[in-house]
Amino acid sequence: MRVAQYLLTMFIVLSLNFFLPRMMPGDPLSYLTGDPTADMPVAISEEVREKLLAYYGLDEPLARQYTDYLINLAHGNLGWSIYYNAPVSSVLLGRLRWTLLLMGTATLGYVALGILLGALSAWRRGTRTDIGLLVSVFSLGSWPPFFLAMLLIILFSVKLGAFPIGGAKSPTGSNAAGLKLAAEVAYHLFLPSLALVLTHLSGVYFLMRNSMLGVLGEDYIRTARAKGLRKRDILLRHALPNALLPIVTMIAMHLGFLIMGTMFVEVVFAYPGTGTLIYQACTTRDYPLLQGTFLLIMAFVMMFNLAADLLYSRLDPRVRRA
Amino acid sequence: MRKTVSVLILALVLANLLVGCKPALTPTATPVSAAPMLIPGPTSAPRTLTLPGDDWGYPSPFTRYPRGPGYIQMSFLFDTLAWKDERGMIPWLADSWEVSEDGTRWTFYLQEGVRWHDGEPLTAEDVTFTFGYLKEHLAPGFEALSEQIERVEAQDEHTIVLYLKEPIAGFLSDVAGSVPIIPRHIWEGVEDPKRFTGKEAVIGTGPFKLVEYSKEECRYIYEANGEFFKGKPVIDRLVFTKVQDEALALKTRTVDAAFFWGKEIEAVRELEAEPNLEVIEGPSFWVLQLIFNYERPPFDKVEVRRAIAHAVDRSRIVEQVTHDGAIVANLGIISPGTDWYNPQLSPCDYDPSGAEEILDEVGVRGLSLTLLTTGEFVREAELIKADLGQVGIEVEVKSADWGTIDGLLREGDFDLAISGHGGIADPGMLDTPTWPAMVYEDEELDRLFEEQGKTLDEERRRALVWRLQEIIAEKLPVLTLYHPKIWCVYDPAKLDTWFYTKGGIATGIPTEQNKLVFLKR
Repeated sequence: MRVAQYLLTMFIVLSLNFFLPRMMPGDPLSYLTGDPTADMPVAISEEVREKLLAYYGLDEPLARQYTDYLINLAHGNLGWSIYYNAPVSSVLLGRLRWTLLLMGTATLGYVALGILLGALSAWRRGTRTDIGLLVSVFSLGSWPPFFLAMLLIILFSVKLGAFPIGGAKSPTGSNAAGLKLAAEVAYHLFLPSLALVLTHLSGVYFLMRNSMLGVLGEDYIRTARAKGLRKRDILLRHALPNALLPIVTMIAMHLGFLIMGTMFVEVVFAYPGTGTLIYQACTTRDYPLLQGTFLLIMAFVMMFNLAADLLYSRLDPRVRRA
Repeated sequence: MRKTVSVLILALVLANLLVGCKPALTPTATPVSAAPMLIPGPTSAPRTLTLPGDDWGYPSPFTRYPRGPGYIQMSFLFDTLAWKDERGMIPWLADSWEVSEDGTRWTFYLQEGVRWHDGEPLTAEDVTFTFGYLKEHLAPGFEALSEQIERVEAQDEHTIVLYLKEPIAGFLSDVAGSVPIIPRHIWEGVEDPKRFTGKEAVIGTGPFKLVEYSKEECRYIYEANGEFFKGKPVIDRLVFTKVQDEALALKTRTVDAAFFWGKEIEAVRELEAEPNLEVIEGPSFWVLQLIFNYERPPFDKVEVRRAIAHAVDRSRIVEQVTHDGAIVANLGIISPGTDWYNPQLSPCDYDPSGAEEILDEVGVRGLSLTLLTTGEFVREAELIKADLGQVGIEVEVKSADWGTIDGLLREGDFDLAISGHGGIADPGMLDTPTWPAMVYEDEELDRLFEEQGKTLDEERRRALVWRLQEIIAEKLPVLTLYHPKIWCVYDPAKLDTWFYTKGGIATGIPTEQNKLVFLKR
């Protein structure tokens, strides 16, 4: 049943992916030939325009283009990007690596830090530590990621000169390999992921704090205390695992926001991710690339939903039984 | 738990040690024989120049992106028959040329001893092949070639004759100075050049060779071509890399020069104050205009268009929106930075009461219009709205992306729109189908336009183009607003040969990145 649901959703999204971009006014050629900011506009006659349309297969009837698109997709062929002049799959994969690296690092960072700080806050409820954490996490979370990113650049890159102002590798290119390459990539990854970690921290932190407070009031915690267990053991062994449950769903649901935040941060740091790609594909009306990027986002959202579903039922036996 | 944490920390420390130790280990691993190579001589230190860039496509003539910067990347690898410097056309792959009386037959004499990057010699066959191939396969920027050129013949190994269907006034710059010559021995067997992206696809005769191109990191790395026919470039390694903020990147010396235009003037002023940077200013050949839908009322009346021209305070727009990063245009569209600008056009003064009088005369009152603009020009649009409000015209500003506006312009479904247009270094560029001034039907305008396009004599052509501008200023198919300026801010210690190319590179690309900048001249 669930499989059928997922398949139906997929089909609807695929069709929307195809028709929505084509319903927007303008076509890919209007950008190739006469964009208002172009410093070298190209004057083409109607005849050449038709030749170009034919080359990209845009002269076929819409129904034909649609079936071609579905058939190609079934063969794993995402088509040819008109603006980038390369296979959509290679354009996407080339950038996806970097986005995944950035998003993965940021997710690990904000989840780990959020859980840690949330648990600490709950344990020290009402103390100065708790209030200090509450205020600072809350104010950081209300900043837009791109703004924080710019502040980080000004502080760490321009004033202190400790980190590069952007890019994923050394700007002049490098022949580094192995560990040295990893170090170089990590060096460039630090500020962008820090910006994401700090701005996305608040969700996990607050949820963890609340959930932990709830758990700490349970009878089994009182029992543990009565047994004379050490504070650390109570916190880590008994309270933490049970307080973690809502976090799992939270991470999956939060993914959409993280993708958005990542896009902005990628732009500010000129990081080679998919963020600018989606923007570029939209402005240039690059239909095949638009279809590809939206397909990718859909795949991600669905995958994480599914993962959250499955993981949650594994973690919480009550859900499985229900 | 404690154990796991300590193991993790230990692992991290070890990893750090390994990374840290690596450079220290390398010298012992280096063979002794290589040691003399490491001693730096006074001239042996490679000179690298890093410039801000973006992804403009794999720099072959067929896979580059169509806009100006894509052409520039390709121009480092490929050469043209003629080229331009700060004074105008100069011989390049052809060391001389002549043209027949009627302007339809051009003879080019190739420079001898030019070699492709792979060592093969350049011959007249390569040139004839290039034109034939470009007529058959669509290359961005040269789609019109098959309509212009009748045939191309090689008379001997170094002489080429081009026969045109009719004379083209801008032939030297737009064709001979723009078409990249490609090697026959490589492209002969290529069926679909748009999908040909091997190493062979970037073999040209140019001053640089491509070492690395990364689409997603938006990076180009070139190395100097030691065999270049005009001598080895003074830069050994030329790097283009993507940065978000060019001013910041120049300040931190991530790049060695930065490029700005129009509203970015604040950044230029800030950098100008730095001790070790210098600035040059040039023309952008770009124009921002207010487009009238002259096919439907009320703008079918030229009086109404004139009233609007008087009602809009264009100097205020330049002052308040661009902070003097642009110059107020006259009404003839062509930028004062070109040879074709007509300085004698009567100025159009800001005169709201005069505008109201005109509107009263033609009996057009109580107008309510929409003004389309892209997000970039919303502030200009708001000022225009305020100005038109003063003369009793109600304006609603609607902002959309360029694709949407382009669609509406094509369908004629709009009242007023703000749009820019670049590359008008040569009047021939006005002939862009989406360019409303030229779709406007006027017998004299059409005749003048056609005639200037065929007139090779520069003085006669200038007279025609001046008259053309007078008519545009009279009939006002569009109201020109301003021409932005452009700047190059650079570190003179790295390279101090920057200049602006007269009439722009190729068909009029306004850029500082002329390959001549990197050569000994």
